[in-house]
Amino acid sequence: MSRAEHEVIIIGGGHHGLTCAAYLARAGVDVCVLEGRHEWGGAVYTAEVTAPGFCHNIHANFMEFLHIMPFFEDFDLPSLGARTIYPEVQAGIAFRDGRPPVLIYQNDMIEETAKSFAAYSKRDAETWRELKAKANMFELVMAAALYTPPAKWNPSENLPNPLLAASSSFSMFGLDEEMAFKTVRDCIDEYFEADEVRALLYRVAIEFAAPSLEWPGSGYFFLFACLFMPGCWRMMVGGTHRLNGAMVTACIKEGVTMRESSRVRRILLDGGRASGVELVDGTRLFARKAVVSAVGLKDTFLDMVGAENLTPYTRRRVEHFKEGPDQVLGSVAMALHEPPRYKSARWDPGIDRAWYQVVGYDSAKDVLDYCRAGHCDRVPELPAAGVWVNSLWDTTQAPPGKHNLTGWYFFPKASALSEAEWEAVRAGYNERFLRLYAEFAPNMTRDNVIADTLHTPLDQERGMRMREGDFGHGAMSLDQLMGLRPFAGAAHHGTEIPGLYLAGSCMHPGGGVTAACGYNAFKVLCQDFDLPPVWQKPTRFY
Amino acid sequence: MGMFDQGFDAIIIGAGHNGMALGAYLAKSGWSVAVLERRSEEGGGLCTEEVTEPNFLHNLHSNYHSLVGICPVYEDLGLTDNGVEYVHPDVQMGSIFADGSALTIHTDMQATAASFARFSPKDADTWLRLWTEVSGYMDLMVRTLMYAPPIALNDITRALASWGVEDKSEFLTARLRSMSVAEFLDKHFENERIKAMLAFHAAICAYQPHVKGLAVSYPVLLGKIANWHVCKGGSHRLAHALLRVIVKAGGRVFPQVPVHKIVVENGRAVGVETPDGFVRAHKLVASSIDVNQTFESLLDADWVPERTRRDVAEVKYQDATLFNVHVALNGTPRYKAASFDPAIDRAWILNIGFETLADFEQELARVRAGRLPDRPRLNAAVNSLYDPTDAPEGKATGLLRVFAPFSLEDGGADAWNRVGSGYGAACLERWREAMIDEDARTLVRRFATESPLQISQKMINYRFGDWMVGRIHPKSLLEHRPTDELAQYRTPIAGLYLCGASQHPHGYITFAPGYNALGVIAEDMGIEKWWDRV
Repeated sequence: MSRAEHEVIIIGGGHHGLTCAAYLARAGVDVCVLEGRHEWGGAVYTAEVTAPGFCHNIHANFMEFLHIMPFFEDFDLPSLGARTIYPEVQAGIAFRDGRPPVLIYQNDMIEETAKSFAAYSKRDAETWRELKAKANMFELVMAAALYTPPAKWNPSENLPNPLLAASSSFSMFGLDEEMAFKTVRDCIDEYFEADEVRALLYRVAIEFAAPSLEWPGSGYFFLFACLFMPGCWRMMVGGTHRLNGAMVTACIKEGVTMRESSRVRRILLDGGRASGVELVDGTRLFARKAVVSAVGLKDTFLDMVGAENLTPYTRRRVEHFKEGPDQVLGSVAMALHEPPRYKSARWDPGIDRAWYQVVGYDSAKDVLDYCRAGHCDRVPELPAAGVWVNSLWDTTQAPPGKHNLTGWYFFPKASALSEAEWEAVRAGYNERFLRLYAEFAPNMTRDNVIADTLHTPLDQERGMRMREGDFGHGAMSLDQLMGLRPFAGAAHHGTEIPGLYLAGSCMHPGGGVTAACGYNAFKVLCQDFDLPPVWQKPTRFY
Repeated sequence: MGMFDQGFDAIIIGAGHNGMALGAYLAKSGWSVAVLERRSEEGGGLCTEEVTEPNFLHNLHSNYHSLVGICPVYEDLGLTDNGVEYVHPDVQMGSIFADGSALTIHTDMQATAASFARFSPKDADTWLRLWTEVSGYMDLMVRTLMYAPPIALNDITRALASWGVEDKSEFLTARLRSMSVAEFLDKHFENERIKAMLAFHAAICAYQPHVKGLAVSYPVLLGKIANWHVCKGGSHRLAHALLRVIVKAGGRVFPQVPVHKIVVENGRAVGVETPDGFVRAHKLVASSIDVNQTFESLLDADWVPERTRRDVAEVKYQDATLFNVHVALNGTPRYKAASFDPAIDRAWILNIGFETLADFEQELARVRAGRLPDRPRLNAAVNSLYDPTDAPEGKATGLLRVFAPFSLEDGGADAWNRVGSGYGAACLERWREAMIDEDARTLVRRFATESPLQISQKMINYRFGDWMVGRIHPKSLLEHRPTDELAQYRTPIAGLYLCGASQHPHGYITFAPGYNALGVIAEDMGIEKWWDRV
């Protein structure tokens, strides 16, 4: 039996692993991706979890970066089946008493969003006009920040400081630089006065990147999550998994060797250098150039490398790397007869056709209290959610005339509850959600629901290998951002182990379907191994 | 750049294993190929999902692959080189009887005979003679009868007669064409339980033991009684391998692109309509989905001749389908019957409930009347026995199947939504009765049921939940399948072919409909048959 050997072995076939693999293959490298699950794509996932024919994106749903994502363009994913829909009303919040909703529209529809804000505050409308226009202008600057790996840190120099980049971003907007040191809530409250507008922005913020409303030093996320993000979301026709299909096809086309159902047990070291991997079934594969891990930080260093093979510094930083309490979700999926019809629609029917619908809150304080629960190891008492009904735009995602609702609850970390406690949540929480829902949208009764499921953080941890159910593979607090992510010594994608690289969401820029972690890892591999820089394009500066 | 701008030489409707295989062969022959799939996942019946808990892999439809090593497609397409792996269980099948005794079928036929001999030494000898005989002509039978367009039954019998089959064979006779499997077994075997085991094997292949005429296919079935394989990592892995072959050869598979219409111009199929618009087919359109969808939904009535329309409307589907229970287990089950035969704990495909031939007749009669049996008779399979990767370490994935009606006497098909979960519990209870007490108490973690109605909703070409896509009956097989006119894979419309399980031979993971359609297409289109062994 000949020795199984490649130039590069990638551990983890989620979208970052696939991205890195495709670029490496295009650069002429013999690369093999190993995926432990039976299916590719990781959280780029769609499944009929409620009833036949109802497709649910219980993990990634909002494609925020496709229009700036190098992989999407460089491998011509639309020709491989990746089609998108761009809903006009991107997000909205409805209210129990039926007062007007607050809506956010596409990037180019600033005026429509402003009009919606104006129902509550003309000043907020004006603020949106001004700040959103600036966000649109600086989109490429933001893109460059995502798709550029942090520089390698030399311990004799100052530590990288994420606040520097953050504060200069504020100055770009013409806002006070010191806002970077503040909380997201500080920023939202300072710039927007209407409670209803704040409520929507609070939820949008934590849904789309901000780790917390109340962590100092995370003001940057106000810019990112409240100004850049809302308005650019695309839907994958057919479900998020279609993007995975296109990425897998791209990899096959480039000649990547792909092995699923191939879980890695450990990384082999030869004279201290990463020389290959061993699978759980004992099979060994060898890597002449590099082993690239796109799975979690602790999985990589503690399970696969072994703490005994790390320097004390790396061991400390890895063991104390935090997963959660931010970005921990429960996924609710419901097969419906009718889509929700909100009381607030009588003022503005746009809420019924908002892609991301925030339901269950009456005030900004409700949202604040809600977020605090999850961060304090408690399941929120108020069973509110952010939901989407993709069948309103893509009729292939549900049987004719029916609708697929999917949504997220913010839950505490997986370890905060016992397995039995999570089962109790699974058994009762959706029902509580429905009872609350019917007060906001009277047609959302139990009779309207054909079947429903709830995936808990424990399910995400087991099924998707997201520790604590943290979809960002690591808290997005200031101490774990940019040049400090996952820690200063490993932010540049290389590690203290020669030949071992990191390419997963534990790296900058964190979770979400960016393909950036894999792309940035490739850039570093290009440098380190003198590969043809096939990522470079004359029309793109990142 | 649109994915459909240039059109394709071949458009294949449906990315089940037949459609994908045809696509792969055509792509490897240098054609541009697009396989369009309505669902969000390719593979059709090659469907593996975590329906109970994370990391428990359940095969929702295809679970048994019995033509590995026999079917030429695996080698032609290099499927093993493209990631599919199989395990060949040494204890293939077993029966657990109510009195605690058990029969086992092994890949080692001496072990099988030894198991039979405990019930009837005479039947054990007969079995070995039957096995030796069918093994001798299995290859020939499979190549000429399965991996070739259908020959009329009359022609088969004439050929056998002129060869002198009655003199040369103990078991083959022209009269098989009017016999049922049960009658064949009654003729050659004496022990009722051995007959039940052998009939069970036919029944789970959808060959109902009391249907007259099916005995003619029985020797081929028996020839592969020890060839059942587990697809490692789930049946869907085979679909991944097919996808890799197609893409490497320059073809494409597009999930979630339903075909609304086959577009016909001047009597020729020129493409299809999809939500993405019109996609041109420069050479042909091949439909792998059922003939009813193809002719009644996808084609304008103007292009369907009256005779075709009438015949398609008459196509008959299985009168019994399956109710499935997918089970997450804390380990592999141990049975009380192991004290009689320890091998039963390692038997992959289990019969729990069919003890005599009459049991099959009774069971299927109930099903035809739309009634559920009070005590379910199970086909149980725990793939983890042979593929431990389909569940977390130390745990196991189980599958229970019972024959069930699509439409229940009380409430029709919709009644399944009411009774499904309760019936699933009843099936589990029946399974537990056969287990040792400790396992009966502690083994089952969670289960999910899949009713005939749900099957028909998830896989819409399994009409009435029929995974064979057409009944298994002499009038619906060979040159009659799906209709006399459409049996040779061509249709009245130029450039439109049929390549799915509606065609000869039938459903199951055989690849034969796709392979046979390929042969016909190659002749019509002048493709050199690089895959031909002749």
